[in-house]
Amino acid sequence: MNVTDLIFWEIVLAGALRLATPIAFAALGEAIVERSGTINVGVDGIMVAGAFAGVYGANQGGWVTGVLLAAAVGAGLGLVMALSVLWGGVDQIVTGIALALLGTGLTSYLFQVWQPSGRSAVLIPLAPTIKIPGLKDIPLVGEALFAQNLLTYVCVVLVVATAWALRRTRAGLAVRASGDDPAAALVRGIRVRAVRTSSLAVGGALAGIGGASITVGYLGSYSDGITAGRGFIALAVVIIGRWTPIGAALGALLFAGFDSLSLQAQGGTIKGLPVEAYSALPYAVTIIVLVATARRQRAPRSLGRPLVAER
Amino acid sequence: MTSGANTQRLIGPAKIAGGVVLALLAAVGLVLLADASPWEAAKGIVEGAFGDKYRIGETFLRATPLAIVALGVAPALRTGIFSIGSEGQLALGAITSTAVILGLRDAPGVVLIIVGALAGAVGGAAWAFIPALMRARWKASEILATLLLNYLAGLLLLWLLRTHLGTSENVATPRSDNLPKDALLPKLLSETRLHWGIVLVPLLALGLAWWVRSGRGLAHDVYSTLPGLGARMGVRDSSAVLGTMVVSGACAGLAGWLQVAGVQGTLYPSVAGGLGFIGVLVALLGGLRPVGIIVAAFFFGALSTGADGVQAGTGVPASLATVLQGGILLAAGLLFAARARRVRRTLMARSDEPTPQPAPAVAP
Repeated sequence: MNVTDLIFWEIVLAGALRLATPIAFAALGEAIVERSGTINVGVDGIMVAGAFAGVYGANQGGWVTGVLLAAAVGAGLGLVMALSVLWGGVDQIVTGIALALLGTGLTSYLFQVWQPSGRSAVLIPLAPTIKIPGLKDIPLVGEALFAQNLLTYVCVVLVVATAWALRRTRAGLAVRASGDDPAAALVRGIRVRAVRTSSLAVGGALAGIGGASITVGYLGSYSDGITAGRGFIALAVVIIGRWTPIGAALGALLFAGFDSLSLQAQGGTIKGLPVEAYSALPYAVTIIVLVATARRQRAPRSLGRPLVAER
Repeated sequence: MTSGANTQRLIGPAKIAGGVVLALLAAVGLVLLADASPWEAAKGIVEGAFGDKYRIGETFLRATPLAIVALGVAPALRTGIFSIGSEGQLALGAITSTAVILGLRDAPGVVLIIVGALAGAVGGAAWAFIPALMRARWKASEILATLLLNYLAGLLLLWLLRTHLGTSENVATPRSDNLPKDALLPKLLSETRLHWGIVLVPLLALGLAWWVRSGRGLAHDVYSTLPGLGARMGVRDSSAVLGTMVVSGACAGLAGWLQVAGVQGTLYPSVAGGLGFIGVLVALLGGLRPVGIIVAAFFFGALSTGADGVQAGTGVPASLATVLQGGILLAAGLLFAARARRVRRTLMARSDEPTPQPAPAVAP
């Protein structure tokens, strides 16, 4: 197999969608959080916690339990952020950094308590892969689009649904108003603090599911450093995707496409550059796109500002 | 002052106490979960950090790079620039100083030490220059640029250790050749690993203290909360970003040199090992002031050596230190927020002017 074979690109594409799923979940959550006016720099910590909660839950009661537990843990951490930022008045970035550390530290601790060193390989049931007969045999895109993990399809549906809800529903309007002009939103009877709090909980839950979609989705086990900074990538693709769910998902796909290529390079299929250069490729591309699109960005107008209007 | 304001004043400390108690309760719960006694664990942390001469040395040894990173990143944070790239800058500093020292291995000791330090600072500064330029020139978020560059620095280090800088000896984990003896920093305290690099901490603290009190430092302070006024005081966004971030990179790079030339005597994959990231936390916890930072660095250093001791003694995982560090930062954040609110209210009570709207913490 080499770069000129069709099957090579089939594998890369299928891998891209699989690897994009965790980032897309987290980025979708972060897009909601940022549209409501808060930045959560701690997404990566929540993803790590979700990845572990997924393994633990799946080990105890099947993959559904794993995903639900991950969502609950993620929502809990999102609420910690809300408590600290919206009710305690702590700087958002400081809280986010603390949360990133707390998430990874706590997870590493619990993992070691659960599995004292040496017994790291816990086997868990994975979420099922859905293969659509006929369609999955379409050349090039068949495997990528019609033979994915269930969580990938759920992610696609959620992205589209959220894009619609943000634009067309009252709740979506409340979220956007809280992020753009909280003072005016308050005047119109929108409880900004409550909206931002629930956005953080929902965003946290999605980041948790994103983490779980690594472990319960395809990897089947947990280890420290499992996200390799994917939570930070999620933050970047929200900006690249201009704070829209669909844009963020496409950004996730961009990163994952290069990630998938670099996996093939690590497998020895493509040569030429050192392995580390291929591993660096997705991060480098993300930085370059971030820089290239930075000037044309329209962030929610009150993004990152503390909520000054008291109650 | 109305009774409403008085109730609010009571809520502040109550929130802080709540935060600290919550963090401690969580820690106690975690220790219980690991089937250990919280009392034993607390004792273990203190013994692990201060039990004997060697351990006290270790505590100072851990605190040194944290303090250096934190003192270096403080000007950027004071200006409202969230540079979180010390981790990668530290790795780069370690790389460049190792490369230069190994390249000049036959030079006299004084030269090796001076050139090693310079190379570390330059390497870290150069790595910091990349996100600084991205932010200054193209308005890219420095938070994300610095974070993502940490991963690139890690991969660069792995590649170099596998190729150009890797030792020819047969070793299980990748590392560089040992540095020549003359390039190593002398020990400060016998029977410990503590080296002379720690004298950089008071020097940098003095530098930061001077800068904070200077007109420039004040202008940067103002710029972070009131950009318009800060600009009129002579702060230009691009030079503020480039200047403060390059300084933070140089300091992180120095810390990288210390880890190589002061502690391990060789370059290895985990040379940064979270020091850069936790260094930023130390800066925040220390309130971005020199004395506060030194105290915070010492505290975090003690926590991490202490937690290592606990793991060896009771089997409670050492990542307890990370949890405590994150929890303490959150609790301390609540403390600072409450104090800031109090100051704002006092100001409001004294003048009839409305409170100035705080500027956004970041402009992504």
